[in-house]
Amino acid sequence: MSKILIVDDELHIRLLLQQTLEEFEEEGVELLTAENGEEALQILQEEKPGLVFLDVMMPKINGFEVCKVVKNDLGMKDVYIVMLTAKGQEFDKRKGKEVGADVYITKPFNPDEIVRKARDVLGNQLS
Amino acid sequence: MIHVSLQRLVLKNEVNYIISQITGLINTPVFIQDAEGMALFGEIDQYQPFRYPVEIDNKTIGWVGGGEQAAVLASLLSCLAKQELEKKSIGREALEKYKEITLLYDLAEKLTASLDTAEVAQLVIDEAKTLIAADNNSVMLVNEETGMLEVIASSGKELHPGEGLKNGTGIAGSVVLTGRAEIVNDIPSDKRYVPGAVRVSSLMCAPLKIKDRVIGVIYISSEDPVQYTAEDLKLLSAIAFQAAADIENARLYDSLKETFLTTVYTLAETIEKRDPYTGGHTKRVMNYSIAIGKVLGLSDTEIGRLELAAMLHDIGKIGIKDRILLKKGKLTPFEFAEIKMHPIYAEEILNHIKHLRDIVPAVKHHHERYDGCGYPEKLRGDGIDIKARIIAVADAFDAMTTDRPYRKAMSLQIALEELWANSGTQFDPEVVRAFFEAFEKDELLVKKGW
Ligand SMILES: [Fe+2]
Repeated sequence: MSKILIVDDELHIRLLLQQTLEEFEEEGVELLTAENGEEALQILQEEKPGLVFLDVMMPKINGFEVCKVVKNDLGMKDVYIVMLTAKGQEFDKRKGKEVGADVYITKPFNPDEIVRKARDVLGNQLS
Repeated sequence: MIHVSLQRLVLKNEVNYIISQITGLINTPVFIQDAEGMALFGEIDQYQPFRYPVEIDNKTIGWVGGGEQAAVLASLLSCLAKQELEKKSIGREALEKYKEITLLYDLAEKLTASLDTAEVAQLVIDEAKTLIAADNNSVMLVNEETGMLEVIASSGKELHPGEGLKNGTGIAGSVVLTGRAEIVNDIPSDKRYVPGAVRVSSLMCAPLKIKDRVIGVIYISSEDPVQYTAEDLKLLSAIAFQAAADIENARLYDSLKETFLTTVYTLAETIEKRDPYTGGHTKRVMNYSIAIGKVLGLSDTEIGRLELAAMLHDIGKIGIKDRILLKKGKLTPFEFAEIKMHPIYAEEILNHIKHLRDIVPAVKHHHERYDGCGYPEKLRGDGIDIKARIIAVADAFDAMTTDRPYRKAMSLQIALEELWANSGTQFDPEVVRAFFEAFEKDELLVKKGW
């Protein structure tokens, strides 16, 4: 079964993303959430989600670090990682590339864009 | 229609864990099945006489079977299912609001860092002045409709905004035609030169180009004879290059601004529809506010802001749950506190939009009272933005003179008396006075066209 992991320290963003991705749940995809980097890393190793929406700005372990550990240290290169960055703070594209992030989306996110992205990624993995 | 699947609920890790724990404590075997009879947990025992429904709002979504003690599990599952349903409906509502807000953001994104054309042209001139010595500077743009080359911004005595040259005439006109920058250090001997308000001796003129299209020129001149060099012209061309792009952006922005205002207005109307006001509240509050603002002699810029602020005064209600906003009966203190949050929500929304940031004080404080007993900040007197004081009067007057779900409209006479009675306490007396003046001049009914 495929799984999507949502990582954000803000509750309302987690809820909104869960709601946005609700339709995938109907199709049997499991939605997982983590509210910080540490929790995210633990879930990533235990549940092996295929797609991760990862907030960049988080206290302690930030999104870049999580991404780096996953893609490099843990060698989970197949996990598709979407970085979520707040509008206004310039996303460091070089850094994103360096840590192996697949794509980034700015918040406030467009729900339709999130669904499209998830469809693209999971479509490939499901079939 | 939102529905909760018992199957998915039972499969949830934490729920599954609780079920296992509870069934472990019950002596008889327990099974769970969905409304259609499919087994979700344990093995179905056809002969088990005890079956308890799992229900949400009296609708059965499944059964728990297995001895009298299974009843506990059925009620627990009903309770969890109900919670799940609530979470989903709140989530769905929140997402709808979020979508409305992202629409606004998208548009605001396009407007970021934009200025109007004249402002941009003025900035270009200020920049040119610091880099190249000259007495007169101007930015002229080709008006496609009239064929004139119009001065948009200037410094010095030679040319002034609003003035124009027939396209193709003068040295500037010639630069538009050729698209090539020029230096003329001996003006009197140049036959193309059209004498103007002051006598100048040297000039430089560079085209403003978007790809191959010349949209105007930047023009500088010196009254004393000077020798402009190729270096100077290179510098001017560089300024022109940047300026052309900025001006084109600003023009696009001007047309976007129309779209923006229409969208904002549509959004305001959407919000209004959720509100139990009679239709047209937003529009009337705008009209009243503008009329009052004019009597008080606000500047055009301030009137523009007042118009936007009045349009968006209740935009924060987007963040308030339907259950509270549309409630027919009396609000509990908690619900009322939630309603009082709408100016704060408005601030959060507007702060994200550069173009709307300067109307925050007007919107945020439209429920402050002149005597300092309002919300959200208990500001008083002149401490409240004048536009907010105006909107407060306009909003109250319209609220009194239109029907509400819980009461009929007051008569005009009583509403006016009411404003008068609260002048100096709830309302700024100056604003109330201006309101009456506008009222007497019949200006309150003037519709402002969109
Ligand atoms: Fe209000």
